[in-house]
Amino acid sequence: MASVLEDNFEIQNEDTQKGRFLTFTLGGEDYGIEIKYVTEIIGIQPITQVPELPDYLKGIINLRGKIIPVMDVRLRFRKEPLKYTDRTCIIVIDINDTSIGMIVDTVSEVVSIDDENIMLPPDAKTGFNNKYVKGIGKMGSEVKLLLDCGKIFSTDEEEMLSSLAQA
Amino acid sequence: MSKVLVVDDAIFMRQALKLILERNGFTVVGEAENGRIAIQKYKELTPDLVTMDITMPEVDGIEAVKAIKAINPGSRIVMISALGQESHIREAIMVGASGFIVKPFREENIVKALGKYKGEAG
Amino acid sequence: MDFINTEPMQEMFVFETVQLIEELEQIILYSEKKNGLESSINDIFRIMHTLKGSSAMMSFSNISILAHSVEDIFYFLREKKPKTVDYLQLTDLMLKVIDFVGSEVGKIRNKEGADGDPSSISQTLADFLSQLKEGCPNTGEAGTGAVDKKHMGQAGEGHYSYKATITFEEDCQMENLRAFSVIHALQQVAGDIRHIPEDISDTENCNREIRESGLTVLFNCPLPEGEVRQLLEETMFLKELTLEYRSADAPGKGRAEAGVTGANEAGGANIPEAEEACKGQNCEDNTYSHDKMSNLSKQNFISVNIQKMNKLMDVVGELVISEAMVTQNPELKGLELEGFKKAARHLKKITGELQDIVMSMRMVPLSMTFQKMNRIVRDMSRKLEKEINFEIIGEETEVDKNIIEHISDPLIHLIRNAIDHGIEPAEERELKGKEATGKITLEAKHSGGDVWIILKDDGKGLDRDKIIQKATEGRLIQRPVSEMTDREIYSIILLPGFSTKEEVTEFSGRGVGMDVVLKDMDKVDGSVLIDSKPGSGTTISMKIPLTLAIMDGMTVSVGSATYTIPIASIRESLNITEDDVIKDPENNEMIMLRGLCHPIIRLHKLFNVVPGTDRLEEGILILVESENEGICIFVDKLIGEQQVVVKALPQYLKKVQGISGCTLLGDGSISLIIDIASLINNKR
Repeated sequence: MASVLEDNFEIQNEDTQKGRFLTFTLGGEDYGIEIKYVTEIIGIQPITQVPELPDYLKGIINLRGKIIPVMDVRLRFRKEPLKYTDRTCIIVIDINDTSIGMIVDTVSEVVSIDDENIMLPPDAKTGFNNKYVKGIGKMGSEVKLLLDCGKIFSTDEEEMLSSLAQA
Repeated sequence: MSKVLVVDDAIFMRQALKLILERNGFTVVGEAENGRIAIQKYKELTPDLVTMDITMPEVDGIEAVKAIKAINPGSRIVMISALGQESHIREAIMVGASGFIVKPFREENIVKALGKYKGEAG
Repeated sequence: MDFINTEPMQEMFVFETVQLIEELEQIILYSEKKNGLESSINDIFRIMHTLKGSSAMMSFSNISILAHSVEDIFYFLREKKPKTVDYLQLTDLMLKVIDFVGSEVGKIRNKEGADGDPSSISQTLADFLSQLKEGCPNTGEAGTGAVDKKHMGQAGEGHYSYKATITFEEDCQMENLRAFSVIHALQQVAGDIRHIPEDISDTENCNREIRESGLTVLFNCPLPEGEVRQLLEETMFLKELTLEYRSADAPGKGRAEAGVTGANEAGGANIPEAEEACKGQNCEDNTYSHDKMSNLSKQNFISVNIQKMNKLMDVVGELVISEAMVTQNPELKGLELEGFKKAARHLKKITGELQDIVMSMRMVPLSMTFQKMNRIVRDMSRKLEKEINFEIIGEETEVDKNIIEHISDPLIHLIRNAIDHGIEPAEERELKGKEATGKITLEAKHSGGDVWIILKDDGKGLDRDKIIQKATEGRLIQRPVSEMTDREIYSIILLPGFSTKEEVTEFSGRGVGMDVVLKDMDKVDGSVLIDSKPGSGTTISMKIPLTLAIMDGMTVSVGSATYTIPIASIRESLNITEDDVIKDPENNEMIMLRGLCHPIIRLHKLFNVVPGTDRLEEGILILVESENEGICIFVDKLIGEQQVVVKALPQYLKKVQGISGCTLLGDGSISLIIDIASLINNKR
């Protein structure tokens, strides 16, 4: 399970992590998440299915003895599922002492985006309906959708209701 | 470096003494929770100094001083005792205790009392 | 006193004090029952003495004041052996002290200030002591004045005469005894010793005098000055020493100059008292410590943070798995590796042992929890004036530490309830032809992978009709009463909302009802069975797993998934055909086994996975049981039996019905552990 970025992915302190994002792709879009949440990146693993979970929660994996849930980010964003390949990655992130794996198509790179190059996402009324995106980062001509980690993993009632409504 | 054997039935007291002693250049080579174990450990460890509680289960501090003095008349034993135990302290001194420290003690107390034993011998 | 206010020292203090007061409580309750408090005076004195010392070090003066008052009483009891002592009152007082210290320590543990006011208890203790003293007039404290001759003036014929003046460090305390120590040391080598102050008995005046003007000693000694100086410099807390060489003779002169006589008498005045005290301490037979109970508390213990234990448990679990991953690595297949195999076997043995040790470290005997109940019984029985014979059986039974915490509260409630509502008043019992003294038995025993804790009383039993009536009023019954077993009806008393107001007496305690029993049992996967016979008593049995952390599991497969079923709940596995199956109109499958009808649950349907087979004759049926109800689980096949380390599902997933946790198999894959009780409850 060679990790894609293991070589240049080192533990860094808060300061040097600021403004740095790990980018990955889902279909044609580039996403970024703040590097401070990321603990490691691993290849796709055998996943143990757990009953009664929403479809985007694929189950649990054994990460060196630690049991962590994994989420298919495509399904979370209601995109078409994609068959897992050896390019599929699991980004393990740690929020509020909870570890969760995010299954993504491929991991790209770690980039720095200054605050002035980050814009708020367009209003939902204009048809942009990805509420998990908290900002849009510009890198030259490219655009990265910066994710709100907290929102992706929230499973509160409201969340459930709204997803039911949209389903 | 002076080797010390700390004898007290309270873990808390042993811990407190150990902490203070080790911070001040002593080496606590052993601990005992009653007189019987103290005598045994004295033989094994031959410490330069023993701190000895008086009230302990099984064999008390006075008996332990007697026994240790019998093993080695030159042994240094300092009683750790509370206010109100005057008669016991007296007796401990009679049977050979080198001195005593009053509980509750402060770090400076211990250093003042025992400092002179540090670095002598072994 | 900075070093003392560190976390580890505080933890140590809390840990040890809790142990001490638990020991104290046991001693007191035990000796009250057996041979009276007199037999344990030494032990109680020692504990209070230790407590006084430690709490004073930590500056918890309220605890140390109280401990001191108690120490005074027991000192008096030990030394003067008064004839008439109200031990019942003393026991009550001691229990109050224990409660006070217990609550203060609780505050300290929660990082709150230990601000309890001990003055009223302290005053009661002081009153008690003065009453004791009144009833015991011959308590003259004065020593007899006899002198211990053997320590006296062996060197009276000394060649040199010296005068030494010694001052002590200001905070050395007990200056008189420091002086005594100096004089005693001199007595070994010198004679004709006189000193100022003359009187070095235990008075504050004397201490002040020595503190202010030091100790002056005149003596004759054959040793040269250098050696005498060396000897005196050994003195602890020595601040200043002046040693004056006076003459080679004329001891009389020294005597005249110092103007004192009989120094030795003063120094030795308290010796007989001291010896007596010591005799009392050593020779008095110590009944309590010869008893088996003491074995439990006299062992060496260290306290370990439970989180660290859990972490250790996890790591060892991982080690066992890694060991399997190495030694059973597919890349080794077909290789002839004699040495490797030998080493691997050794590794396996060690990891196995390690796992056992870690497990055993978590196991704690129930004795502490059980012994605590003595107190509950005593308090209740005194307050309700019901005589109770309380018997404990199997207190050495060990249970996982995580579980034991959930046993205490239910027991307290059940025992209170038994005494309050179960055991009848003596007159009523006699009318019924029972012994006037009620009997309550608390028993623990192992049975399979479970521990049973059984509380039995010989009281009036539960009133089935009254329970039904109350439950109906409170709408606690969902099903027709006619369909319910007696056990089910009795269990209603544990439901929240069952206790009516009239029952919320002071003994219901802490503002919670019997439902705390179910709540706690739920937390540890335990269950409660209640049997009762009108007129002859009630038996409440709590079934608790030995440990939550490890269990024997049967691994089964369904399609590509594996699941683990606790062996403890498996009754049998069977091969059947479709013909054996009975179907109800809703197409629910059932099977008759020995006259009992059990529902069949197809695991693949329940968990929505693709099975290897859905033909009953190709798979296997496992009969599992929980709380006397059985269901059959259909799976593809049995894989094998093994001990598994139970892990919780990630919190993020919340609680999943039918799954109690998961475990890692030897190949690193995850197997979900099936929660039999919840499957059965769901089916109901």
